[in-house]
Amino acid sequence: MIMFTTTQVGSWPRSKKMLKALRDYRVGKLARQDFDHIADDEVRRTVRIQEEVGLDVVVDGEHRRDNFYSFITDKVEGTQLMSLAEMLNEVEDKSGFEEMLDTLDVPASAIRNPTCVGKLERREPLALNDFLFVKTLTGKPVKITLPGPYLLSRSMWVTGYTRKVYKDQFKMGDDIVRILRQELKELADAGCEFVQFDEPVLTEIVMSQECGRRTFM
Amino acid sequence: MGVELDYAAELINRIIKDIKGPRTGIHICRGNWSTREDVLLTGDYTPLLPALTKMKVNQFVLEYATPRAGEIKVVGEALSGNIPDTDIPRELGLGVVNPRTTEAETPEEIVRKTRLALDFFPPEQIFLNTDCGFGCFANRCVNVEEVATEKIKSIVQAAKMLRKEYS
Repeated sequence: MIMFTTTQVGSWPRSKKMLKALRDYRVGKLARQDFDHIADDEVRRTVRIQEEVGLDVVVDGEHRRDNFYSFITDKVEGTQLMSLAEMLNEVEDKSGFEEMLDTLDVPASAIRNPTCVGKLERREPLALNDFLFVKTLTGKPVKITLPGPYLLSRSMWVTGYTRKVYKDQFKMGDDIVRILRQELKELADAGCEFVQFDEPVLTEIVMSQECGRRTFM
Repeated sequence: MGVELDYAAELINRIIKDIKGPRTGIHICRGNWSTREDVLLTGDYTPLLPALTKMKVNQFVLEYATPRAGEIKVVGEALSGNIPDTDIPRELGLGVVNPRTTEAETPEEIVRKTRLALDFFPPEQIFLNTDCGFGCFANRCVNVEEVATEKIKSIVQAAKMLRKEYS
């Protein structure tokens, strides 16, 4: 068994070209195929850097993802990408929310949330294809990252939109579990070595009070 | 709060139950949306332990390069045993570089940090990784490729030094 296995958490800095592609794809100025072509090149370079450096378990850099959890709106039916600015309509204490974003240095127009607006169904795999692509580039073990179920159950629920579809967060949570479990199974069948679930929001529920504030998630 | 933590553990356990093959991990951090350390959350993992100890994942991938994460001892003492109801030892994915700073940590610094984890986990159960991703939100990256490359280089160098010493 190997000692001190080296790896990273997931995302790699995006190039200017990738940032532009993400923007253009989002607003419909770039076709999926052209977007994938650009992203494939970025992933190739990211994997090559990790191989050259000698990292043991490599990641794809998450170049295709708008952010580490909002990207699921591309893959899951019943979701809609909303900027925090758009979500302001649903927030009761608007000025407080805006002030918080400002204080915390959160770019309100830049961070987008995957809001649940309909029954959640997986339209296509969340990350299986990312895994299969990296495997064409390297013989090294690969780590795939997925948004954690708790993060999704908190962030996707925006009462004004979601209550029409799900009775409560737990009902929505059941569908999130079903979708992530299906993904994990498929990754397992494909031979994926490492699947990491990201749950940054857990710290918020226990620490934001001590810090005397809540965060944007 | 306790209800929320229990729910978080229940959700992850339902997803991974009986699926064999991949190593499973959970990554927790205190925010990665800003390069300003003063606006990100602060506190050690103590209040999360009731949830973490119930989670049946193989590995906890945790921030430890930033001093905001507190002492390694906290998870070292609570999480260095086996996954509940199994004889499989848990692993620690030790965060050893801060993805938001412009200077790469030296391999020596990383070795020193890793020694603190070695008080609780054997070398085979310690992974060395970044604290978080390098580019969380689409149009605002927290770092650039050149710095990110230097940082993962330092991690690999540190692992080499440690393997030499502990093999």
